[in-house]
Formats: sequence, structure tokens, C-alpha cells
Amino acid sequence: MSPNRAWARQLAALAAFLALWEGAARAGLVNPFFLPPPSKVGGVLLTLLSEGSIWPHLYATFLAAFLGLLAGIGAGAVLGFAGALAAYVAELLVPVMILLNAVPRVILAPLFVIWLGIDIESKVALSFVLVAVVMFFAVYSGIKDVDRRLIERVKTLGGGRWVLLREVYLPSVVVWVMGGMKVAVGFAFTGAVVGEFVASSRGLGYLLSFAQSTYNAALSIALVLLVIAFVLLLFGAADLLERRLLRWKYR
Amino acid sequence: MLRVSKVTLSYGAEPVLEGASLKVETGQFTSLVGPSGSGKSSLLRVVMGLQRPKAGLIDLAAGLGQVGILFQDDALLPWRTARENVALGLRARGASKPEAGREAVSWLWRMGLAGFEERYPRELSGGQRKRVAIAQVLALRPSLLLMDEPFASLDAIVRHRLTQDLLRWVEHEKLSVLLVTHDLEEASQGPRASVRECYHVPIPRPRDLVQARAHPAFGPLLGRLWQDLSEEVGELHAATIQPLRREA
Repeated sequence: MSPNRAWARQLAALAAFLALWEGAARAGLVNPFFLPPPSKVGGVLLTLLSEGSIWPHLYATFLAAFLGLLAGIGAGAVLGFAGALAAYVAELLVPVMILLNAVPRVILAPLFVIWLGIDIESKVALSFVLVAVVMFFAVYSGIKDVDRRLIERVKTLGGGRWVLLREVYLPSVVVWVMGGMKVAVGFAFTGAVVGEFVASSRGLGYLLSFAQSTYNAALSIALVLLVIAFVLLLFGAADLLERRLLRWKYR
Repeated sequence: MLRVSKVTLSYGAEPVLEGASLKVETGQFTSLVGPSGSGKSSLLRVVMGLQRPKAGLIDLAAGLGQVGILFQDDALLPWRTARENVALGLRARGASKPEAGREAVSWLWRMGLAGFEERYPRELSGGQRKRVAIAQVLALRPSLLLMDEPFASLDAIVRHRLTQDLLRWVEHEKLSVLLVTHDLEEASQGPRASVRECYHVPIPRPRDLVQARAHPAFGPLLGRLWQDLSEEVGELHAATIQPLRREA
């Protein structure tokens, strides 16, 4: 049982699971209306992709999630940074962030629709709020925990505030942003899709609520798979970015 | 070079230094020996301005820019290469990037690290990291070098070699040194060692650690230091460890 064969065993387990599922559906053990077999889901997925009608929806969701992710990382990192370095910023921000962290932020979705309409803006906003809060805490606590020895080292070598910022704090922010990246990607898609559930005319969330209202389980599962594929795609991109930005850790 | 007068420092209610005074003459190697927890490191931190004393005076003839410090657990920036780490202090003092880079490389070579310039700290051994830290400090050409058990975390052979290399440079540049340690043998590298009193170490310089140990004056001196230090430790413990009292 060598560890480098792990992927082969994982693949075999997945194949076995799908075969079991397919078999159960065909043998009539489960109702295909509620749990359509993998072959049916695959067929729906193929039709969606080949027909081409899915692309505008994919684009809408991906764009909303991506913009929300970027803006959320930016705002979260800047606010977390400011809070960690200036006590008076922290005393204003931290209680708000704790509150926002404690409530399920998707409850803001209806409000965003009222304010920003049913187009992409309200989805980006929801995505943004979800991401910004987790990023804030990642960066805030990361910077607060920066190794004191590094700071003292730079100080005793004659470095002032600017050198500290460039040599210690900014590289630390990158570390913590990359550390929070995977959670943030998940939240970005949550925001986009939930926003589309609430009110929209496009996007995977819109299609999902359509699938639900027509009791189309196969379409529902196919859409879930699409979202998973997109999140994995962004995970891959985040990994590449991390290996580039944190070369000192991986080389 | 450096005069510390009656420095008092406490962490909260815990007194750390109570009227500590010492003097480092220009071009001399002074060791400050004391048991762990006696406030030696805190004294260096006060001298470097990392800690504000409650009372007392630090008189530094040359200014802080002329002081280099080596800690026991020197931390290099993990995201910077050896070269960039050494260049850091030079750049902070206004050298241009290429200029600081060239200077840094020449210091790494001097420290025996040719070929390791572009390595990250994670890719260096403990001894190599220490050498980078030393290059980082020496590159700024300090006239006073403060050392806080700088080689404590290294194994004996590496420690010995690094000590020799550093001492050679200290002799060569006639640096003033204040070494803080709980290791009596390490302290005996310098001509002055003070616990409560000053000792003169009558061993000719430059010294080799192994040879110094064989010098006839070494044994008796170590014995005296050891005795004084034991008394000191005894007092410290008598003061802090209270015998347990059974509840009646």
C-alpha cells in the first residue's frame, strides 16, 4: 500500500461508488426521480455544455464570484492590516467584524437586491461581504502574531517604519492572504450562488432554483458538479499563485 | 564606549534589573556572566532601545547606529534570500539596491558562504543561518558588538568554529564587545568577566578556545567564577522558591 498509489485507490473508490449508485438506480432500489443515476446526470451535463445555453449562466456566476473574491480579499487585507497596526482602527473594526462573522451573512442578500437590483451587482456585493470578513480575520490575527524577533531584528539593523512595512509586514500579509485563500474561494461562490437564488435572471443559482421548481434532480446534481468543478479550478489557480508568491516556502 | 548606570527595569511587578551598572571600554571584550533569568538579556535589550528602563542611564558614545547585536535566536526573514537578508541593514542605511547587494555578497563570502547567496533561510543549516546573521551585523561595520549567547543553539563543533571566526574579526577590527552568557567557558574568551566583581583574564590573545582551556590560569579562574556564580544562583533560588507549607 504505497502512498504514491493513493490517487489510484481514490479513483477506484470513486468508480465503485458510482457503479453502486448506477446499479442501485437500475435495479430499482432507489427512485430515479429523486436520485437519478450517474449516467443520467452525465447526460444532462453533456447536453448543457454542448447545447451552449449554459455558458452565459456559468459566466455570470463565475464573474460575480471572481469580482467578489478580488474585492473581498483587497478590502479584508487592507482593513485587517490597518486594524493590526493601529489600535484605534481595531477598536472600531473588530466588534463589527465579530458581529458580521457571527451572523450568517447571506441574510443580507435580500437587502442587496433591494439596493443594487437583480443584476450582477447584488451578487458581487454578497460575495464581497462573505470573503472580506474571513480575510479580515486571517490578515488581522496573522499580522498581530508576526514573529517579534523579526521586527526586533529589522529594528536593530536600523530599519524604520517603512523598512518594517516592506520587509516584514507586507510579506506576512501575503502569507496570511494565501492561507485564507481556499476558504475565501468557497465563500465567494456561496455568495454568488445564494445571491442568484434570491433574485436573478441568470447564473447557476438561477438555474438551480429553476431545477428545484421543476423537480429536476438530474439538472440539480449536474449544476452542483459544475460549481464543484469551478471551485476546483480556482483552487488550482490559487495553488499556482501561492507557489509563485511564496517561493521561499516551496522551492 | 558604553556605560550603563543604575538601570532599573521590571515586567509588571516583577523586578528584572535593579540598579545594574557596567562599562565597556573601547576595544575591549567584556563578558557579563550570570545565571538564566538574572536579567542579562534584558540589559542588552535596554541598551538597544528595545526596552524602556524605569530608571537609569545608557551612555553610548558612538550612537545606536554603531551598535550591532547578535541574539541567541536570531531570526532571518524567511522570505528573503541570504543576500537580501544581509543587504537589509545596508539598504536601511541608504545604500542603493545594487550597491547593498554587492556588499552583502562580499560579506557572505567572507563568512564562508560563497555559493549560498540565493538560498532562503529554510534551505540553510543552523550554522549557516548563524553565519548569515553575523554577516548581517558585521556588514554594518559596528564599533560595539553586543552578543546574547549567540551560539547557544549550535552543536559544539560548529559553535567552536564560529566563535573562532568571529573572534578573529573582533581582534582584527578592534571591536568593543559585550558578551552576555551563562556559560563560563564562553565568557573566558574575553579579558573581563564580571559577576559582581570584575575579573582579569590573564591569558594572551588571540586565544583559541581549546588552547585557552589548557592555560594554567584557566582552571583557577573558572573555579572562582564558578563559586561566585553558585552563590549568586543560591541567592536567586532562596529568594524565589519557597518551601511548600502543609495546610493544617
